[in-house]
Amino acid sequence: MKTIEEINEKIRRGEAVVVRADEMPDIYEENPKKAAVDVDIVTTGTFGMMCSSGAFLNFGHSDPPIKMNRVWLNDVEAYAGIAAVDAYIGATQLSEEKGFEYGGGHVIEDLVSGKEVYLRAEAYGTDCYPRKKAETSITLKDVNQAMLFNPRNAYQRYNAATNSSDTILRTYMGTLLSNKRNVNFAGTGEINPLSNDPEYRTIGFGTRIFLAGAQGYVTGEGTQHNPKTGFGNISVKGNLKEMSEEYLKGATVPGYGTSLFVGLGVPIPILDEDMARRTAVRNRDIHVRILDYGVQRRDRPLVKEVTYEELFSGKVDLGGKTVRSSPLSSMKISVKIMKELAGWIEDKKFFLTAPLEPLPKDTVVKVMKPRRDVPFVEDVMTKKVITAQSTDALSKVSELIISHGIDQIPVVDREGRLEGIVTAWDLTKALATNKKKLQDIMTKKVITSRKGEYIDAVARRLGKHQINSTPIVDSEGLLIGIVTSSDVNKYLERR
Amino acid sequence: MNKYVINFPQEIVENPILSETILETGVLLNILRAKVDYNEGTIVVSIMGDEETQKKVVDLLRKKGVVVNKLKKSIVNEEEKCVSCGACIAVCPAGAISFTKDKDIVVEKEKCHRCGVCVEACPRRSLSIQQFE
Repeated sequence: MKTIEEINEKIRRGEAVVVRADEMPDIYEENPKKAAVDVDIVTTGTFGMMCSSGAFLNFGHSDPPIKMNRVWLNDVEAYAGIAAVDAYIGATQLSEEKGFEYGGGHVIEDLVSGKEVYLRAEAYGTDCYPRKKAETSITLKDVNQAMLFNPRNAYQRYNAATNSSDTILRTYMGTLLSNKRNVNFAGTGEINPLSNDPEYRTIGFGTRIFLAGAQGYVTGEGTQHNPKTGFGNISVKGNLKEMSEEYLKGATVPGYGTSLFVGLGVPIPILDEDMARRTAVRNRDIHVRILDYGVQRRDRPLVKEVTYEELFSGKVDLGGKTVRSSPLSSMKISVKIMKELAGWIEDKKFFLTAPLEPLPKDTVVKVMKPRRDVPFVEDVMTKKVITAQSTDALSKVSELIISHGIDQIPVVDREGRLEGIVTAWDLTKALATNKKKLQDIMTKKVITSRKGEYIDAVARRLGKHQINSTPIVDSEGLLIGIVTSSDVNKYLERR
Repeated sequence: MNKYVINFPQEIVENPILSETILETGVLLNILRAKVDYNEGTIVVSIMGDEETQKKVVDLLRKKGVVVNKLKKSIVNEEEKCVSCGACIAVCPAGAISFTKDKDIVVEKEKCHRCGVCVEACPRRSLSIQQFE
């Protein structure tokens, strides 16, 4: 048994034994009792995109003074609804000009690298703050305070992602190829901070940590902290002015937006054999669920449960097929963080703190209550679909289109399995190019939907592919309905 | 074996130049990527055989009026920007990107098809397709 004060005393005497989380499993396995006595601190680390990050900045007062009610930094809006010259720049806020290519995360990276950032502010003007506009350029040195304050960082573990749909998806889990051809995962597994202290015995409000190259603090549970399912996370704070550009990097997630790579390391004190055992966790002990992001719902279906060991191997077996898997967090920089934190401790620059309050272990994550039930595809789809067969004459198909007043007809085989779709435009084109067979003019690669999807997901699909309808098929590929853009619009108007 | 980019000017975009070249030289070509429309065509091929054989094919292609450039590097990674996260690895259909032992990103240029999916997927915008030698 050791106390944090005893460990700090060892640090002061230069006698503390510090090891990295990836070294601890072997040390523990060799002799658990000895490991608990010999090792004082295990360093952990993570470097990944953490969207729920940002910084409070105080710009100082201008003359005449201004009470900013809107402020932009390099064309990225910061939240100015706090006092006159305070603002919060969030990682995922996009540049109004550059969009996904530059956002709040990049502003923070630019500030921390010492670059000039262009500030533009608007105000309504008051007796005490008469100025209505301000424009200037600022650097990190110019501002009074710059506090990195991240409400949700360093998830204990995270779901992995794949995509069963037939189109490429751009998600916050990166680019997901169609038909489950890749798996992306986040997190650093056995070296992740909370995975080395899953009972939160040593991590809580007031725990001193490595935050982007400076000494920062845990400020308690993070938002959506979900300890019961092993999805705990922390909120953290630190002085941006002391941080290093190496550990704060702006990110563009294609099709999703911007974010911020944050480097974070937590020292875990080995108080007793239990803590030694916890920090001996291996990648093969930590389970990760691979979810299907091809289903655009909050609760995405489980494809497979694997471990971090399998994910880090670079290959995962999905239904008999070997699929490449790759991380979205940098192992290289995470390891560097563990080493740097260990170096600080060995150089007597960093001392441990006991948490003033532990992270809660019983909170649950609630969901947003819908104002009204959002309909599913099966609530709005037309079930009696007018269909054609690929052997049908073009004149017959044209007649069907005219007599039913529709724009497109799904083509099915004898069993009712979808083979293609033909539009009025295809028929016109057939006439112009002198084509006679339905098989030659129909679109064979059809954008289909499923009956269990939300209408909003279908609306997005129709827009993305610029199509007017999507046939609904079941898991066997049998046509069971159709949803047109006017079905979707009717619902959207009602809302 | 080396990779080449072939550009077809508008006037000859309809001629079966590649087929002719294969028949006339007897050298195998592998088409890696092709974009052909009414206006112009760009095809990336790998030409099999040694340098001399490749030169024979390139010379003939040039004689037929297409622009041929050898691809030396395919994907370039600016190491200063890269954070070695790995977002480019699993998306690569050719399996051309991997980690080194030190967890750095490495691109195997001979495997790369120049499809660009990694360029688009990179959160740091550190990857780009280099055009020509």
